[in-house]
Amino acid sequence: MEDVRDLKALQLDALKEVANIGAGHAATALSQLTNRRIMISVPEINIARLEEVPELLGNASDVVAAVLMHMLGDLTGRTLLLFPEAVGRKVCDMLLRRPLGTTATFDVLEQSCLKEAGNILSGAYMNALSDFMGMLLLPSVPSLVVDVSAAVLTTTYLNFGHERDFVFCVETEFHIDSAEGLRGHFLLLPDLASLKAIFDAIRLT
Amino acid sequence: MSPAPKETIVKVAEWAAERGDAVIVTLGLGSCVAIMLHDAAAGAGGMAHILLPSRSLAHDATNPAKFPDTAVPFLVERLRALGADPRRLVAKLAGGASMFAQLMTPGSVQMGERNVVAARDALRAASIPLARQAVGGGAGRSVRFHVVDGHVEIRTVGSDAVVI
Repeated sequence: MEDVRDLKALQLDALKEVANIGAGHAATALSQLTNRRIMISVPEINIARLEEVPELLGNASDVVAAVLMHMLGDLTGRTLLLFPEAVGRKVCDMLLRRPLGTTATFDVLEQSCLKEAGNILSGAYMNALSDFMGMLLLPSVPSLVVDVSAAVLTTTYLNFGHERDFVFCVETEFHIDSAEGLRGHFLLLPDLASLKAIFDAIRLT
Repeated sequence: MSPAPKETIVKVAEWAAERGDAVIVTLGLGSCVAIMLHDAAAGAGGMAHILLPSRSLAHDATNPAKFPDTAVPFLVERLRALGADPRRLVAKLAGGASMFAQLMTPGSVQMGERNVVAARDALRAASIPLARQAVGGGAGRSVRFHVVDGHVEIRTVGSDAVVI
């Protein structure tokens, strides 16, 4: 496969199902960590021109807390956990067992806390994919930035991806205690070459 | 009170050229670089938000604002059409950050740095002096380029704005 635009409907559906299994496990982990109900959306496959990436997930100028990790092993690519800045602060409060609204800045402890959340969520996601597909998947160390969404997303693709024209991600939105409007995104960014390995593993070729 | 100056937003791989009291804005530069050219005497300025250091990295290389070596001559022509003299142009650069730096493979050159180098090369090829720059580092930048006098405000999340 040369181009993500060549993916067939059945392959897209299969990828969504794979993502759903991963995101389900990640959501369970987040739920246990925060002791809250987590709802996840049906995964979406976003295919966009590189120039359109800033608008991929809503407002390009919003500030987000983002944890990027490499996925290594039988599949290669990256995972990206994104919270709007205000939600990122509340997630820190939940994980550090503090009253909501305590976190003012992302100091060393808060940064470490978000990276650990990324680590645990990505770990759960990759474990689920490993089990389901009979593969070995290993996460790298996490890296955190708090920056404008447009800069985070373009850099993720430019610096770490290999495709320079059309790019894609498998995205799951999750809500923490849905009434409070706390949401985040989990993005799986497999390298194009790894898609074939996924389809082979689930006998869809 | 005078009316607010006209703002033109430049998205990724787009460009703008203006005269007078216009402000050219681009938001969320990560590894991308904003190349800004200014002719003070004519009060004209232009910006290109370049995405990739070389046309060889993309299949579709038709958009001149996407790459430094095509963006610079393209902006020069647009500014000439607005009454600027190419010999008077000076340049400013912003962007080229290396976010998530600890995930880079040791020894590899990251895209932000390559974009900055390519932008400087393109300016040299066009004999345009580089006046000021705010490049590199680990944080994204949002840029407001005031065409009337060429000053550039740069905002970074978590720090004070700087002017170049």
